[in-house]
Amino acid sequence: MIALLTGMLATAVLAGGVLALAALGEVLAERAGVTNLGVEGLMALGAVTAVMTVSSIPSPWIGLLVAGLVGAAGGMVFAFGAVVMRANQVLCGLATTFMGLGLSTALGHNYAGQPVATTFGHVTVPLLSSIPVIGPALFGQNILIVPIYVLLPALVHFVMFRTRHGLNMRAVGENPAAADAAGIPVMAMRFWYVTLGGAMAGLAGGYLTLTYVPVWSEGMVAGRGWIALALVIFAGYRPVIVTLSALLFGLVTALSFVGQAHNWPIDPAFLNMLPYLGTMAFIIVPVVVWHRMRRVMAAPAALALPYYRDVR
Amino acid sequence: MAARAFQRLPSAPAGRILVLRLAAIVLSLFIIAGVLALSGHSPVTLAELILRSTLGSRFGLEDLALFMCPLLLTGAAVTVCGTIGLWNIGAEGQFYAGAIAATGVALGMHGPAPAVLPVMTIAGILGGMAWITVPTLARAYAGVNEIITTLLLNFIASLLTYYLTTGPWRDRISGAQVSTQRLPVAIPEMWGIVHWGFPVAIVIVIGLALVLSRTRWGYEIRIGGANPEAARYAGIPVRLRIISVMLLSGGLAGLAGMFEVAGTVHRLQGGMANNFGYLGIVVAVLARGSCLNVIPAALLMALILDSGIVMQTQQLSASVVLAITGLILFMIAIGDELAHYRPVASTTPKGKAS
Repeated sequence: MIALLTGMLATAVLAGGVLALAALGEVLAERAGVTNLGVEGLMALGAVTAVMTVSSIPSPWIGLLVAGLVGAAGGMVFAFGAVVMRANQVLCGLATTFMGLGLSTALGHNYAGQPVATTFGHVTVPLLSSIPVIGPALFGQNILIVPIYVLLPALVHFVMFRTRHGLNMRAVGENPAAADAAGIPVMAMRFWYVTLGGAMAGLAGGYLTLTYVPVWSEGMVAGRGWIALALVIFAGYRPVIVTLSALLFGLVTALSFVGQAHNWPIDPAFLNMLPYLGTMAFIIVPVVVWHRMRRVMAAPAALALPYYRDVR
Repeated sequence: MAARAFQRLPSAPAGRILVLRLAAIVLSLFIIAGVLALSGHSPVTLAELILRSTLGSRFGLEDLALFMCPLLLTGAAVTVCGTIGLWNIGAEGQFYAGAIAATGVALGMHGPAPAVLPVMTIAGILGGMAWITVPTLARAYAGVNEIITTLLLNFIASLLTYYLTTGPWRDRISGAQVSTQRLPVAIPEMWGIVHWGFPVAIVIVIGLALVLSRTRWGYEIRIGGANPEAARYAGIPVRLRIISVMLLSGGLAGLAGMFEVAGTVHRLQGGMANNFGYLGIVVAVLARGSCLNVIPAALLMALILDSGIVMQTQQLSASVVLAITGLILFMIAIGDELAHYRPVASTTPKGKAS
């Protein structure tokens, strides 16, 4: 039982990391008032460019860096349309996903199905990794687990809720006109936070191919970008909660692996549906059960609304 | 000073939109040509080849109509949802659900085609409606974002199709992979390989346009989309209208799946939705909320898909088409926004403009 639990948690942490990175990035963009539906495409681009990079430069760090930079570039393209040109955010986001998925498949054509050359190896932290159940999951896997689950969310939480800059950033998402009147550069704030969110989606893609699923294939992102978007809503746009819900979500994924490994009498196709069904339940059930949830977890007031200084 | 020289209008004139969209498409084509030239393909030869094998040949025109048929219906599905201000991103899943339900009828019901086809049609529509039921109720009663819920169900529908076509319904006759056997009935063909679903789809789209513009129901939907508060104040049951519109939308996408499985593919296959659901969003955007515009929009989208076939013969992967569609959609989104701006005399008093 303990062994099963340990194994499940390890898988959950590994699988949830992809979502934690992407969803945290999306929290930044949405708190600044921009919905980026392009996450799925940016993750695919990050995943494929990481694979391509490590096949010529055998360093997972450089692969991850390139994935992040590509994600940032894609985020800038989206932000150019949605923030600078103030075009419809849903359309720009979908277009970014189409471009990302299409380009990544075209780019990865020669790499499809081959094992990734270099990945992040196992790093075992002495002492800490021998804590029962959670030790192997947090400190016995790759080196990115602690930054993803502890350092980044803590940093984002601190900046967003404990600094003046964070207050300004949230003001841009809640009431851009007031923020503008107070001298906060609305457009620059949105542009750079969307870019940062894109970079984190790219990193999530790189993390996917450099640790969790070390092989590139078309469609391998498999809706994780959309699940990350759903997690942001579920977590009420809060960085720490979004990270925890990514972990919860990783557990659902792990459950389907455990089912397949233990030959549960359910077809794998149905076990593979679990993450999507779980996400549906995540965003529907809390609101239905507890109506106050809608107000507690409300979206930023100006989310997905372009800001026009000159139009009243 | 420069920022003051333009004024944003609440709604953009149609003529300006058309001009800017043409500019957006031309700009996209130039970018694509540039990328193709850089990757060692000759854009001019390719363009010539595409024109010759799409609009310039019988087979190309037949394929064009076959591509248009599902796009008309998924485009209409997204358009009617958009009328009340909602996004149905799940047409892909509803398409599969309709195809699955229709296939179930075709495999289970033995009889002559004139008896089976109407039942398949109804099953397809109901399948699509069933697939959008949960997002519909969640949206209408709990205000849950329909973009995410409709989209997640796409993955589930695709997995269900995979399960059925490799498990209980797998092809035991010819052993085709991820596919059912050839269905015993088919929608009759009217022109080459083009089946009767194509004219029916056009009639449906025109009918929808009339319903939305000429009936009380359509009027209430449009008001509900334009100003939900005013609609509620005027006594329009907005919640019920949301439910009916979303179910209609799911039914249209399900019908697209039925037509595809009974008219074009003749089998239920994994991946048979071919992004038609997602491309329906592009069609709806191009149509700008008008059902009649869905017809030319579907034609443009079908042309792009038809060119994709040619590109595949030229060692360009099918995914390039998706990227090209994304680029065109992106450019058009920007063009539509720019169409809202009207140049004004730069002598405007400074204080007034801000």
